[in-house]
Amino acid sequence: MFHWLEKNPFAFAVVVIVTIAFAGLVEIVPHFAQQARPVIGTTPYSTLELAGRHVYIKNSCNACHSQLVRPFKSETDRYGDYSLSGEYAYDRPFLWGSKRTGPDLMRVGNYRTTDWHENHMKDPASVVPGSIMPAYGWMFVNEADIDTSYAEQLTVAKFFGVPYNKPVPMKDGSTKIIKMGATVEEARAMALAEAKLITADMKNQDVKDAVENGKIPEIVAIIAYMNSLK
Amino acid sequence: MNKLYIWAVVFAALMIVLTYLSVGTTEGGLNDDVVNQLAVAGAVALVVISVFVVVKYVRQMQVDTADGDLAEESWDGIGEYLNEVPKGWAILYILTMIWGMWYFTMGYPVNAYSQIGEYNEDVAAHDAKFAAEYKGITGNRLVEMGESVFLAECKVCHGISADGIDGKAANLNQRIEAVAVKHAIMNGANNFTTDFPGGMPPGLNYMFASEAELDELVNYVVAGMPADDTRGAELFAQGTCNGCHGDTGEGMPYAGPKINGYDIATVSSVLKDGKKGAIGTMPKFERLNAKQIEAVSAYITSLSK
Ligand code: HEC
Ligand code: HEC
Ligand code: HEC
Repeated sequence: MFHWLEKNPFAFAVVVIVTIAFAGLVEIVPHFAQQARPVIGTTPYSTLELAGRHVYIKNSCNACHSQLVRPFKSETDRYGDYSLSGEYAYDRPFLWGSKRTGPDLMRVGNYRTTDWHENHMKDPASVVPGSIMPAYGWMFVNEADIDTSYAEQLTVAKFFGVPYNKPVPMKDGSTKIIKMGATVEEARAMALAEAKLITADMKNQDVKDAVENGKIPEIVAIIAYMNSLK
Repeated sequence: MNKLYIWAVVFAALMIVLTYLSVGTTEGGLNDDVVNQLAVAGAVALVVISVFVVVKYVRQMQVDTADGDLAEESWDGIGEYLNEVPKGWAILYILTMIWGMWYFTMGYPVNAYSQIGEYNEDVAAHDAKFAAEYKGITGNRLVEMGESVFLAECKVCHGISADGIDGKAANLNQRIEAVAVKHAIMNGANNFTTDFPGGMPPGLNYMFASEAELDELVNYVVAGMPADDTRGAELFAQGTCNGCHGDTGEGMPYAGPKINGYDIATVSSVLKDGKKGAIGTMPKFERLNAKQIEAVSAYITSLSK
C-alpha cells in the first residue's frame, strides 16, 4: 500500500504534512481549549478601564513594567499569586512585557490605591525617593479616549464573544455582570459615572472639576485600569 | 589464509600491545589496580569485537552474492529485496512501543518535572526555614524584623521615617492624627469589618456643645488619652466613646478598637481590611504571615512610644 506513496513524491509530501498537522492539532488544540479559558474571577474591562489600558499602551508603560508574575517564591512574596494564562483572556494584546525597569504590575490593584497613584504619577520621586520613573503630568490634562475604548468593547464582544452584559463567574461562586453601553452616549455616561467614583478618592481639584464638567482626564482612566489589575 | 585475516590479527595484536604498554607502565600497573585491569579488559574486548565485525562485513562484500525475491518496483535499475523483518529487531520494536505507551500515559505524567511542583516545594521549604529561624524572636530582633517588613511593604506610602510623607498617608509616629479622629466622630467608620463588624456610628459630634469642645476631645485622643487629663476623660464619657472604646481607650473586643496606642490587634485590624479615611485609602495586606504581622506591629508600636 505504501509503495504507491513512494512512487508519488508530491502525494507523499501532502500525506506527511497532513499527518504531522494532525499530530499538532491533537497536541495543541485540547491544551489551548483548556488553558485559554478565562480563569474564574477574571472579568472583561469596563469602558473606563479599557481607556486606561490604551493610555498605558500609548505611554509605553510596558517598556519598563511587566505584567507576569513568575512562579518563584521571591516574586509571589512581592506581587501575589503567580500568573495563569487564563487571566489574560480579555487582554488584547497581552502586556506581559519583557523587561522590569520598574516592578511587575500584574496585581498592583491589590496593594496600591487611587490616592497613591495620583501622587506617584504626578511626581514618582515624591513618594519613592530616587525613583527613575518619569512623571506623567500631562495625564492630568489630556482627555481619555472613551469612544475608541467603546469601539473596542463592541468589536471584542461581537467577534470574540467577550461576555459583556452577561454573568461572569467569580471565585466566591457568585456572578458579576460587566455592563457595556448600548450606544456610545450611554457608554460615555457609564464611564463618567465610574470616573466620579475614582475622583471621589482623588485630591487634584482640576481633575475633579473636569470630571464634574463631563470630561475624563487620562489620569482617571489609568487609575481605573491600575485598580482593576488584581 | 586470506590476507584480510592476517591483517586483522596483526592489527588487533598491535592495539592490544599498545594498550598494555600504555596502561601497564603507569603507576600501579596491572597487578593490583582493579581500575586499570578493567580498563585493559574493556579495551581488549573493544578491539576484538571491532576487528571481528569489520572483517565480517568486508568479507561479505568480497564474496557474498545477492539472492531472494525482488520487490516490484525498480528505481532506475536499483531494486529492493523483500526480506523478512529480523526477529530480534521486531521484538525490540514491539517492546519499545509498549514502553512508549507506558511513558505517555504513566511515566511522563506521573514523574514529570513541574514548575509549579518545584515552586510549591520551594515555598514549603522556605516557610519551614522561616518558622524555625524566627520562632521565638522577641524584643529588639522582632522590632528589627518589623522595620524590614515596613521598609519593603509600607514605606512607599508611609515614608521611610513613617511620617506619612506630608499627609499622603497616616503618620505612624503617633497613634492617630486629629483629622482622622474628627473624621471618625463626624462620619463614623466601618473599615475593620472583620474585627468590628458593627462599626462606629456617624454624627457623634452632636454630643458636644461646641466646635471648641469637640476639638478639646480630639486633642485628648490625639495626645494618647493621658491619665491626668480629667477634663478629656469627662468629654470622652460625654460622647459615649467609653461605651465602645473603654474608659482608658484600651478598646473592647467587637465593640471598638484600642485608640490610646498601638498593639498587634489594632495593626492587624488595619492589615486585614485596609482603611479608607480622611487621609486616604490604605489597601489590605493579605500576604504577610503571622510572624511578619507581629513584627511590623511591634515596629509600629515602638515608633509612638
Ligand atoms: C523608565 C521606565 C518606566 C516607565 C516608562 C514607567 N515606569 Fe512605572 N516605575 C518605574 C520604576 C523604576 C518604578 C519603581 C520606583 C517607583 O515606585 O517609582 C516604577 C513604579 C511604578 C508603580 C508602583 C509599583 C509598585 O509596586 O510599587 C506603578 C503603579 C507604575 N510604576 C506605573 C506606571 C505606569 C502606569 C506607567 C506608564 C504611564 C509607568 N509606570 C511607566 C519605571 C517606569
Ligand atoms: C458604638 C460604638 C462606638 C462608639 C460610641 C464610638 N466608637 Fe469610635 N470606633 C468604633 C469602632 C467599631 C471603630 C472601628 C471603625 C472601623 O471599623 O473602621 C471605631 C473607630 C474609632 C477611631 C478610629 C480608629 C482607627 O484606628 O482608625 C477613633 C479615633 C474613634 N473611634 C474615636 C471615637 C471617639 C472619640 C468616640 C466618642 C465621640 C467614639 N469613637 C465613639 C466604635 C465606637
Ligand atoms: C498604598 C499606600 C499604603 C500602603 C502600601 C500602606 N499604607 Fe498604611 N495607610 C495608608 C493610608 C493612606 C492611611 C491613612 C488612612 C486614613 O486614616 O485615612 C494608612 C493608615 C495606616 C495605619 C493607621 C490606621 C488607623 O487606625 O488609623 C496603620 C497602622 C498603617 N497604615 C499600617 C501600615 C502597614 C503596617 C503597612 C505595610 C504592611 C501599610 N500601612 C502600608 C496607606 C498605605
